[in-house]
Amino acid sequence: MDKTNEESNAKLCEYLTFRLDREEYGIDILKVQEIRGYEPPTRIANAPPFIKGVVNLRGTIVPIVEMRLKFNCANAQYDDFTVVIILNLHKRIVGIVVDSVSDVMGLVPEQMRAAPEIESIINSDAIIGLGSLSDRMLILLDIEKLMSDADMGLVADV
Amino acid sequence: MAEVHHESSGSGADFDLSQFYQIFFEEAGENLDLMEQMLLSLNLETADDEELNGIFRCAHSVKGGAATFGFSDVAELTHQMESLLDKLRRHELKPNASMVDVLLESADSSRALLACHQSGQVGQGPATANLVSRIRALVAGEIPPPPAAIKVAELAKPVVDSPASATAPAELAESASGGMRHLEVRFINLDQPAQADAVVELFRDIAGLGEIKPHTSGEVAADSRVFEVETTSSNEDLLDLFAFHVSREHVVIRDMVSPELLGDPQGPAGEQSLPAQDAATASPGFGFFDGAPGAPPAHDQTPESALLATQPMDSGVAKSSPSAAKVPVAGNMQPEAATIRVAISKVDQLINLVGELVITQAMLAQNSRALDPAVYQQLLTGLTDLDRNTRDLQESVMSIRMIPMSIVFSRFPRMLRDLAGKLGKKVDFVTQGEATELDKGLVEKITDPLTHLVRNSCDHGIESPQDRIHAGKPETGTITLSAAHQGGSIVIEVRDDGKGMSRQKILTKARERGLDVSDQMSDAEVWQLIFAPGFSTAEVVTDVSGRGVGMDVVKRNIASLNGTVEIESSEGYGMKVSVRLPLTLAIMDGMSVGVGNEVYILPLSSVVESFQVRSDAVSTVGQGAQLVKVRDEYMPVIELEKVFQVPRYDSDKTSDIMVVIEADGSRVVLLVDELLGQQQVVVKNLESNYRKVPNVSGATILGDGKVALILDTGALVRRSRH
Repeated sequence: MDKTNEESNAKLCEYLTFRLDREEYGIDILKVQEIRGYEPPTRIANAPPFIKGVVNLRGTIVPIVEMRLKFNCANAQYDDFTVVIILNLHKRIVGIVVDSVSDVMGLVPEQMRAAPEIESIINSDAIIGLGSLSDRMLILLDIEKLMSDADMGLVADV
Repeated sequence: MAEVHHESSGSGADFDLSQFYQIFFEEAGENLDLMEQMLLSLNLETADDEELNGIFRCAHSVKGGAATFGFSDVAELTHQMESLLDKLRRHELKPNASMVDVLLESADSSRALLACHQSGQVGQGPATANLVSRIRALVAGEIPPPPAAIKVAELAKPVVDSPASATAPAELAESASGGMRHLEVRFINLDQPAQADAVVELFRDIAGLGEIKPHTSGEVAADSRVFEVETTSSNEDLLDLFAFHVSREHVVIRDMVSPELLGDPQGPAGEQSLPAQDAATASPGFGFFDGAPGAPPAHDQTPESALLATQPMDSGVAKSSPSAAKVPVAGNMQPEAATIRVAISKVDQLINLVGELVITQAMLAQNSRALDPAVYQQLLTGLTDLDRNTRDLQESVMSIRMIPMSIVFSRFPRMLRDLAGKLGKKVDFVTQGEATELDKGLVEKITDPLTHLVRNSCDHGIESPQDRIHAGKPETGTITLSAAHQGGSIVIEVRDDGKGMSRQKILTKARERGLDVSDQMSDAEVWQLIFAPGFSTAEVVTDVSGRGVGMDVVKRNIASLNGTVEIESSEGYGMKVSVRLPLTLAIMDGMSVGVGNEVYILPLSSVVESFQVRSDAVSTVGQGAQLVKVRDEYMPVIELEKVFQVPRYDSDKTSDIMVVIEADGSRVVLLVDELLGQQQVVVKNLESNYRKVPNVSGATILGDGKVALILDTGALVRRSRH
C-alpha cells in the first residue's frame, strides 16, 4: 500500500472476503450490511434447495441463500464459524451463508486480473475478475448480478 | 355485520365530521406548502406537464377537502385556482409570472381562510373576491391585463398579502349582518371619470354580484360618480373588485339603509368621528383625502356607517392594528397540541424495536424458568414485571398505527348528503366492514382516493330521480362502501347502482384526446382509460367532479401503496371500483397450527371449526382426491404436509386434526398435526425481500423470534377446485 498515490487511491476497491470450502471469494464491502451467526431459518416450501428459507432480521423477513449449495460445495456443515452475510442490494435484503469470513481487503487495479473463460457453475457475467494476492487467489463476485439472476429464484419471474 | 347508515341519520353525522377537521387542516396545509414550493420552482419557459399536473392536484385536493367539510370560501377560491391551472395543464394558456403571483397570493389567502376556520372564526378570513376576479380574468385569457388594472392590482396587493389579521374591522360587522345590502358608492377625485363607468360592467359580468345604477338625486361633481348598489358582497370585496378600474383611494362606500347593523363602535368608526366633523363642512366628494393619509374620512352626519375607503400604503398599518389585537385571543382557541405528525418510518422503527424487545423478553423468560424461585425471587419478580411492561408497550405501539376503517367511512355520510342535495339526487349510503382495521398510514393515504371515488359515484354514477324512475329503478340510489380482508389484502369497494360507464363514450373521448385506442379493446382495458390524467367524460365541469383529475389521483395514490384499482361496470346497472391494498402492516387474528416441526398461521377469520378426524370419515374419489363428510356436507381435504412438503422425522405421527376453512364462498378441510393456539400476528410482507410464495399470503414473527408463514386460504380453496 506504500506506493499507492492519490490517483490509485481513488480506484481502490474494498472487498469483504469469505471462504466457501477451499475457495476464497470477495464481494464489494459497500453491499454488505452486517455479518451474523447462522440460525436455522424457516423453510419455504417448493423453493430451490439453496434457498434455506427466511429469517427474522429485527422485524424484517430476509431470505437466506446457502452459497455452498449454490456453488456445489462438497460439504455444507453448520458450525460455530458458519456465518450469514447480510447484503443490501437494490433495497432488497438477502442473507448468504458462507463457511467463514476472512477479512476486508483493499485492491488496487494492478492487483486485479480478468477472469479467463472457464466452465463454471457461476455465471461468468457475475465474476468481475480475479484478485491476485501473492499466493492467494480471490474470486471477485458481482454479488448484485449473481443474486438477481433468474435462476436464483429470489425475484418473482414475470 | 353490515351496518347501514342512512344519511338522514341526523346530527350524529354532523358531529362526527368535526373530528376530521384537524386532519383536513393538516393535509390542506401540506398541500398548500407543496403547491407553493412547486410554483416557486416552476420554470415558466420549460414548465412540463408533470409539474403543472402536480400543482393542479394540490389545488384539487384542497378544494375537494374544503368542499367536503363545507368551507365554501376556500373551496370557491381553490376552484378558481384549479380552473386556471387546468387551462395551463391543457396548454390552453401559457404560464406567466402574473399567474404565478396570483396563485401564490391565492395560496396565502387559502391558508389564512383555513386558519380562520380552524380557530372557529368563520367569515373573518381575508377577502377573496379580488383574487377570484383576477384569476377569472387570467382564465379568460386577458393577458396582459390592461395597464390600469395592473397598476391598481399592485396597489391592492399589500392588502391581499397581509394575513388574515388584516381583515377590515368593518367587515367583521358586515359578515354578522349578512344578507342583501343597499349601498351608495362614490368615486371621487377621478382624473378620468369615465373609468368609474366601467364599474357598471363589472356588475354585469360577474354573476351574483348584485345590481348597480347611477345615483340620481343630488348634485355630482365633475370628477366624481355616484352609484347605488345592491349586493351581498362585503365592502372589502367590492373595493377589491373596483380596484380593477379605480384605485381604492378614490372610492367611498356608504350604507344607505341600515346603519345600525353595521355599527362597530370600536376601531376606525371611533376615529372617524373626528374628521367627520370637518368633512361635514366640505361638500361630499371633494378632495378632502388629500394630505390626510390615514385619517379616515366620512360623509354627511353618519360617521358610524361611513366606511373608509382609502387605503394608502401607510394607512394599512393603522387599519390592521385593531384586528391584529384580536388574533392572540383567537390563538388561545386553536387546538394545536392535540396531535403531532410523526414520520411513519419512525413509528415503524419503534414497532420493530419493540418487536425485538418482546422477543428478547420471551427468551429471558424461557431461560429463567429453570431457576429456583426461592433463591432468585427478586430476579423472577423483575422478569414478571418486564413481561407485563413489554406487553403493554407493544400494545400501545401497535395501536399507534392501527385504526378501524370506520374513521374513514364516517367522513362520507355528511359529504354525500351535501353533495346529493347540491346535485338534486337521492342517495342512500351503506357501509360494510367498518371494523376492519387498517394501518394508519394506509388510512391517511386511502382517504383522498376514496373521497374521489365516492364523489364520482354520486356525481357521475347515480342518476337524477326522474332518470332513475324512467329507467325502472327505485328513485333513491345506493352507494355502498365496504372493506374486508381478502386473500392477504384489504379490499375496499365503492359500489353504486347508477348508470355505469359507457364504453362508447370513453372510447370517443379517448380518441379526442389522441390516445391510442381501438374498438377491439376489452372492457377492462377501456375502463383503465379513465385513469389517464385529465380524462373525463362528464359534459359539464362542476366543482364536484368532471375535470378528470380524480381518477388520475386515485390511481397514483393507490399505486404508491402497492395497491391496485379494478373497475367493473355495466351500463345502466352501476359500477364497482375495487381498491386492493396489500397488508403491509395489518394486524390479523391468527390461529397457529403445527405440521411436522413447522408452524403455520391460519387467518382466524377464515377458520370455521376444527375437530379430531375419525378414520372412517375420509373417502377418496377418482385420482385420490380426498373428501370428508362434515355434517352431511362433503368437503375436499388438503393435507398441508403434502402442499408444503413438510419433512417427517417422526413417521409415527400423522396429521389427524381437521380445520375447516372458508374462503371465496367455499369450504375446504385442512389436515394438520396440532393446534397451537390463537394470537394476534403482525403481517409481514414476504415479497419485499423475497418473492411471492404459492399458498402463502405473508409471514409473521412468532414469540420466539422465528418466522412463520401465513397461509393464503383463498389460494388453498382455489387449489382444491382444480
